[in-house]
Amino acid sequence: MKRISKIIACLAIVALAATSALAAEGGNPKKGKYLYKKNCKVCHVAGAAGGALTPLSKTQRQWDRFFEKDGHKAAPEAIKSFSPQDLKDIQQFLYDHAADSDQPETCG
Amino acid sequence: MRKLFALLLVAALAVPATALAAPTVEDLQKKIQELSAELEDISDRVDRNGMHAATDRISWYGDMRVKADTLHYKDVTWNPGILVDFDDFGAKAMSGAFGDPADPTSPLGKMLIQNPDLATAFGMGLLSGVGPFAFPGGQKSDINNDILYTTRLRLGMKAKVASNVNFSGRLSMYKNWGDSTGSKVFDSWNSFTMDGTDGGNTTGDWLRVERAYFDWKEIGGSDAYLSIGRRPSTYGPPTQFRENEMRGGTPTGHLVNFNFDGITVGYHLSELTGIEGQTIRFCYGQGFESEWGNGELFNDNSVNTKDTHLGGLNFDALNDGTNFLQFTLFRAMDVNDGFKGVIAFPNQFAALFAPTLYQDLQKFPNFNFVTRVQPSTVIGDINLAGVGFTREEMNGIKWFASVSATQTDSNGKAGMFGGMLSDAVFQAELNADGSEIIMTPARATSSDKEEGYGVYVGLQIPAPAGKLGLEYNYGSEFWTPFTQAQDDMIGSKLATRGQVGEAYYIIDINPNMFIKVGGLYYDYEYTGSGSPVGTPHKIEDVQNGTAFSMLPAVDKAWDGYASLTVQF
Repeated sequence: MKRISKIIACLAIVALAATSALAAEGGNPKKGKYLYKKNCKVCHVAGAAGGALTPLSKTQRQWDRFFEKDGHKAAPEAIKSFSPQDLKDIQQFLYDHAADSDQPETCG
Repeated sequence: MRKLFALLLVAALAVPATALAAPTVEDLQKKIQELSAELEDISDRVDRNGMHAATDRISWYGDMRVKADTLHYKDVTWNPGILVDFDDFGAKAMSGAFGDPADPTSPLGKMLIQNPDLATAFGMGLLSGVGPFAFPGGQKSDINNDILYTTRLRLGMKAKVASNVNFSGRLSMYKNWGDSTGSKVFDSWNSFTMDGTDGGNTTGDWLRVERAYFDWKEIGGSDAYLSIGRRPSTYGPPTQFRENEMRGGTPTGHLVNFNFDGITVGYHLSELTGIEGQTIRFCYGQGFESEWGNGELFNDNSVNTKDTHLGGLNFDALNDGTNFLQFTLFRAMDVNDGFKGVIAFPNQFAALFAPTLYQDLQKFPNFNFVTRVQPSTVIGDINLAGVGFTREEMNGIKWFASVSATQTDSNGKAGMFGGMLSDAVFQAELNADGSEIIMTPARATSSDKEEGYGVYVGLQIPAPAGKLGLEYNYGSEFWTPFTQAQDDMIGSKLATRGQVGEAYYIIDINPNMFIKVGGLYYDYEYTGSGSPVGTPHKIEDVQNGTAFSMLPAVDKAWDGYASLTVQF
């Protein structure tokens, strides 16, 4: 029994470790979508200053890199008003709907 | 590539320190380290992307689920019997068509000897009109399958054919542990392995094509699209919540969870209406092929089927990621009294209908013969309609409500198991050599239209480490949806004529891996859930012997389960 407990404990630690290793964790994608639509789409539609941009424009890894390294270099002032949690929410939304994320399986 | 990076590094070093705004050596070294890391990262990704682009034309993904169920059936009643046209029987018997009743070697004499109760009633002139002819062998019991393990492997694939043409497919294997036969003893419609349900029915360790289709989008620069092939017609909304995955199919899962081959022509209306995600589709499919592969060239009148064609409209009125509203209208024309499939023949049927065969089978009690079955008769049409709404709240709460209706339109014809939501009336005939009286289905007990309805509601709330879900559904007496491919072990819960409650807890280990524990409780009110064939009889009537059911009738059942799913 002790051995089984140890195995279960190890599995739990591995599961936790695996979870913490994943990017874009902890954001609220629903809030992120709301914030993105309200704030980002002003500039990120076809013909606007920022050009067309949707979650499908990048892969999950590219979105993570954008938030972790780029920080919206092209126009840093555009995201100044966001709190760290706001940014996390937006990152989560974009990550969850990225080009390589799970997509609805329909015929169109 | 490495040479290029080295040159870039040298170039970076050559940039004047003032330009880098990092005047100290330490800062410079730090910058170099960051650049090196960045370049290594880029190099790694470029290499992998280059390899992928050069060698892969299909992107693969998938999921694997291992599941343990404990299944418990209460008051399973098998009370076999058929309805017989005794007026026809009496007239033929009196005319001598079945031989002399006093002669024990005549067909009628042999039948009366085998059925003494029938002989008594016949002698007293009590047999008239259409009445039940009960078979011996009725029984009632509880059945427990304490543990049943299954593995479901689904391999999804996608390929970009052109900028506006995609291919999608999914291969699936679904098996119970220790079984690779792919055919089960036919004891319910749920056990019947057939085209429409292969993806949700344990069918051995074979990969089957659950779906494979092309999408041709933005045709001629418009928002119209065309999709052809084996449809994404399983796991549609709102069933994705209990599956803990994204929407898994196009039509509502409350009415359709069934594999179909066909065509969808759709149009994304959002640009016209400004309503996010609005899409309208016309779907056409074929659910049964009557001529090809059925021995039609023998020109045998014993099988008289037609192709079953399906058509309908599916309208996503709103799909903005928070709210989803969908309407469905669907019609199945020329529905037959079954599908092509493979079954292991229950020996109990042989005991009732094929005594000569059964005599041999008794020598091999653990043998069932596996046979291909096919329908014999067109029994009518089915109309389906439904409206479903789901909402995913900002705080993580998800809920849905769906109301659907079905209407069956019987043509009054029947095969061996009955007509459209009606039983078969059998007439007695002599077999080919005139030595035995056999019963053949002559007509259905009814040619009425029957309406049924189903209600399906559910709620999923955030819980520590995951989600907690509660679902309830009810189906009325004549409720006849196409959800038989739903892979619930006891049977599609949404096809139940009665009520089903489900509670589950999903533990999200990471975004691609979760554990689900839960339970389903079925309370059947009528027989025949999931089948358009045969009159739905009250379960209590089957139990007390006033109604008959050729297949075992289950009163109540529950299924406790635990599963681990990995998506990759």
